[in-house]
Amino acid sequence: MAGETTIYTLRLGFDDKLKAVKVEVPKGEPRPWDADSKLAVIGRDTPRIDSVPKVTGAAQYTHDVRLPGMLHAAVLRSPHPAAEIEHLDVSPALKQPGVRAAIDLVKVGDKVRFAGADVAAVAAKTRDEARAALASIVVRYRPLPFVVDLDEAIQPGSPKVHEKAVKDRRTEGDEPSEGGGARVDGNVRRNPSLSKGSSNKGLRQAKVRHEATYTTQVHTHSALETHSIVVRWDSPKAMTAWCSTQGIFSVRDELAGVFELKPADVKVFTEYMGGGFGAKFGASAPGSRLGWIAGELARKSKAPVSLLLDRHEEHVCTGNRPGSTQRVTLGATASGELTAIHVVGHGSAGIGTGAGIGNNAFGIYTRCPNILVESRDVFCNTGPGTAFRAPGHPQGAFAIELAMDELALKLGKDPLELRIGHVEHPVRRAQLELGRERFRWAERRREADAKRSRGARYLTGVGVACSIWGDYGRKNAARVTVSVDRDGVVELRNGVQDIGGGITTILAMVAAEVFARPVTSIRVQVGNSELGPSVGSGGSQTTSSVAPAARNAAEAVKAELTELAAKLLGRSSTEGLEWGSDGVVEVSGRKRRIAFAELCKKIEGEAIVATASRPQTYNAGPMRHPSAPVYQIAGAHFVEAEVDTWTGVVRVPEVLAIHDVGRVHNPLTTRSQVNGGIALGISYALMEQRIVDRGSGRMLNPNLESYKIIGAAELPKLDIVFTELHTGANSTGAVGIGEPSTIPTAAAIACAVHHALGRPVRALPMTPDRVLAAIQGA
Amino acid sequence: MEPFTLIRPRTLDAAQTRALGAPADRVYKAGGIDLLDLLKEGLSRPSELIDLRSLGDEHGQAMRALAAGDGGWSVGALNTLAAISKSALPPAYAALKEAAGSAATPSIRNSATLGGNLLQRPRCWYFRHRDLHCLKKGGERCLADGGENKFHAILGGGPCHIVHPSTLAVALVALGAEVEIIGAEGPRRIPVGELFALPRVSPTTENTLGEGEVIRGVTLPAAAAGQRSVYEVAKEKQSFDWPLAEVAVAISVEGGALRAARVALGHVAPTPWRAVQVEEALTGQAPSAALFARVAALATQGARSLGDNAYKIPLVQGLVRAALHRACDIPVPA
Repeated sequence: MAGETTIYTLRLGFDDKLKAVKVEVPKGEPRPWDADSKLAVIGRDTPRIDSVPKVTGAAQYTHDVRLPGMLHAAVLRSPHPAAEIEHLDVSPALKQPGVRAAIDLVKVGDKVRFAGADVAAVAAKTRDEARAALASIVVRYRPLPFVVDLDEAIQPGSPKVHEKAVKDRRTEGDEPSEGGGARVDGNVRRNPSLSKGSSNKGLRQAKVRHEATYTTQVHTHSALETHSIVVRWDSPKAMTAWCSTQGIFSVRDELAGVFELKPADVKVFTEYMGGGFGAKFGASAPGSRLGWIAGELARKSKAPVSLLLDRHEEHVCTGNRPGSTQRVTLGATASGELTAIHVVGHGSAGIGTGAGIGNNAFGIYTRCPNILVESRDVFCNTGPGTAFRAPGHPQGAFAIELAMDELALKLGKDPLELRIGHVEHPVRRAQLELGRERFRWAERRREADAKRSRGARYLTGVGVACSIWGDYGRKNAARVTVSVDRDGVVELRNGVQDIGGGITTILAMVAAEVFARPVTSIRVQVGNSELGPSVGSGGSQTTSSVAPAARNAAEAVKAELTELAAKLLGRSSTEGLEWGSDGVVEVSGRKRRIAFAELCKKIEGEAIVATASRPQTYNAGPMRHPSAPVYQIAGAHFVEAEVDTWTGVVRVPEVLAIHDVGRVHNPLTTRSQVNGGIALGISYALMEQRIVDRGSGRMLNPNLESYKIIGAAELPKLDIVFTELHTGANSTGAVGIGEPSTIPTAAAIACAVHHALGRPVRALPMTPDRVLAAIQGA
Repeated sequence: MEPFTLIRPRTLDAAQTRALGAPADRVYKAGGIDLLDLLKEGLSRPSELIDLRSLGDEHGQAMRALAAGDGGWSVGALNTLAAISKSALPPAYAALKEAAGSAATPSIRNSATLGGNLLQRPRCWYFRHRDLHCLKKGGERCLADGGENKFHAILGGGPCHIVHPSTLAVALVALGAEVEIIGAEGPRRIPVGELFALPRVSPTTENTLGEGEVIRGVTLPAAAAGQRSVYEVAKEKQSFDWPLAEVAVAISVEGGALRAARVALGHVAPTPWRAVQVEEALTGQAPSAALFARVAALATQGARSLGDNAYKIPLVQGLVRAALHRACDIPVPA
């Protein structure tokens, strides 16, 4: 009944700091897993249950979808960063070989605002025919003044990117917040500030100050599988879509919205997908209306249409991590107590919004009494930014963490001790202390200092940086169905997509745990909107939203099976029965047992089926630290960097990553997510960079050759440690890891490079040109 | 990419006859690595590809050979980078083996050939961009001049500012190699440096080959007594990237003094670049860390930054130092 609750006393916390906590849960919830739960499957390395189809090529991605009569689409994109459409005629394309439909995507008089913006599209029998036909479309552009550089866009009098106010485009990939503000001045839009105390007062009190500007580059998502969608109309009022997406239901809703269909009449499949880092929500890409294009071409041509972007398009119109320029001012007492942190961040999400810098400067060194973090979006004539694995955080972490190291040098303090002295979050503090020992911090610092004073060619440095993220697991969003049939088949069904984190395997593990069955015997169906509502994979919320729902559904089925067992054993209740490795046994007396297969045979009808969700985080987060509105996930990366002072080349030989992930469900795939987070962080720190030509407004490296992404030779020795925490937040104790795992890497590398050289490199990526400039004191 | 016909001739004569016939858009193909890029980028739209790997005549055999002879070594143009890096070339020619083993990726090195490496087109991002029309493509001006020129030339540039992409050429220049070219009028031999032309000679091409001419191979002259050679490179990314700059050095020590030094620089100029001042300053000197630090500064005499590429000056100096240290077995400061 609504409002009824049960109170459990759980043992929660971490390490040796466990304590008994009364946790109130809605009636019907199982006893949440806590420190005393003896689990047989959850918490053990479990290979992905879908690894064989993935490595043999049997897995079908959207790029692999081939339907009878399917056509291929191609999109004509603006070559101009800013232009008005004076004339547009798509009809010549209809006369080209193989072409079945052509549509315009802008009207005469419309403005295009970045090179790569949608202009027109065609569908043809082959991809080559579709691409070739684009050349026949007649367009006359009136080029307009444009600006593609953040610093230039801020200047008064620079070309205005938008004439009117711009609406925030927010997705499930964005960290929940109040969103953007309204004040716009030229190309600069103010966003809400984070503030406590008075930073002005704190700076006046300071005896030691550090003030510097830090810049970060534009970083494109570059998922291996480019944005792709296949649309088939099943009737004038119903369609099926296959889409490479992080949010199946966001695809359904967008298609239903643009084509005025009922969401229930739109089916979406994402059986497998080749990666998403925040740019794959909805049927479209942030800078291209892919859903409309594929659907409209399919409607006009009366055939299914496949639209797969090429790598060039993927770079220019599907989103990016905005670049930033951050002015950081720190104040401290002579003894090294922070009196103020003030950050003014300007970020550019191109024509889009959402170029904030996260809450790293505000939420980590919380002993500082006065903090002000201001942030502004700067519009440029470049492709829109969008959520990218921990939106804002890596850029924010880079500036505040490197500034902390520079302040520590001025204070003559060890940068790790300066940090430990200013964190209040107990897990973060424990992580920093753990890393200090495990990484041999003091010893490595001394070795590095000695190399620098000897004038060695190869210098080394060590650095540390923290991550901050929240538990954004959602209530009632994922509805997982569990069934056990008369044949003993256990199946889970949910419309979630597996973006690579491994939710498919975790679902199997949860059921295996509850029913005491082998993981490999569990069937899991995901990637289909008809399998029940689910969450988008953004905000590091998939496992924490879906796994507890799966457990709750499985426990409901188990309860019914237990009742059946009691009936078969002639017992009046389920008390005195428990589940063993094969079915149900009596705890005492004759210890009779019913094997799982035998029990299932007695199921009345086909199967026992239950569908469940998860409620709001219990007690609003029993292990929540008072400084944050939600449970705060802590992490820290310790990094060693090596700098070749003769060439400026930086390498990262070793990384220690320490993370809180609540209860680790599958250590194998959790480590895999951290591996990926670190790899992405190194790539961001040392090489990835969108280069836009200031003369033409075009991206000059829209490929994977001169847009450089980390390869095998750059991967460091990785040491990953989970400070497992019993959160009591939901029935399985899951919180997220995808995003926190990439936040501190680049910042820690920057700190290590600063230590190696004794001088900072205040711009990402730290490429040899910048490192050599720092060495030469330029 | 446009459709094309692949021709697989058995003799060089047949290949050259085909190449010189109409239509004029036929091109030779060896490993096909750079060619595939050019086809995909629309920079080349040939109707026919004439495959040189199918040649079965004496030229074809010579193009596949890698053998000692006449005191030196000859390396046929169809040898892959992988084959060269793992070849029996003696240590005096180590620079060539190191260069071949450092370029691109293992899979590319298994296809890419010596000839193709020497004749590949530049990687300049304006030249390679499908929407942009630069001087090298027959346009009006070099877009890197005043544009984004981080990877462009600091020496020998103008009016186009590309850097030559061939890594093997740098080692071959340091080793004093000659290129054997077969044309319609018969064979000719030139020093490898003369294969390349600066943009002020012709901004739209990078080499001096005549129409229909084919590189049969290179010859490495007999090594000087005690010759050592090394190759050093700096890249932004260690797995699969183009050099920011590269250096090859061939040198020998006689009676405690340096002799016969040849120093070549790559990815700093539109052609492989001899650092003659460095060579002269080394000759006759006793090798030492101090000497190397001093002469390295001479490597970039006359260098000019376009704006974003000034870092190549200290970078190439650092590589010259590193190469000299290794060639002379003098440890770097540690």
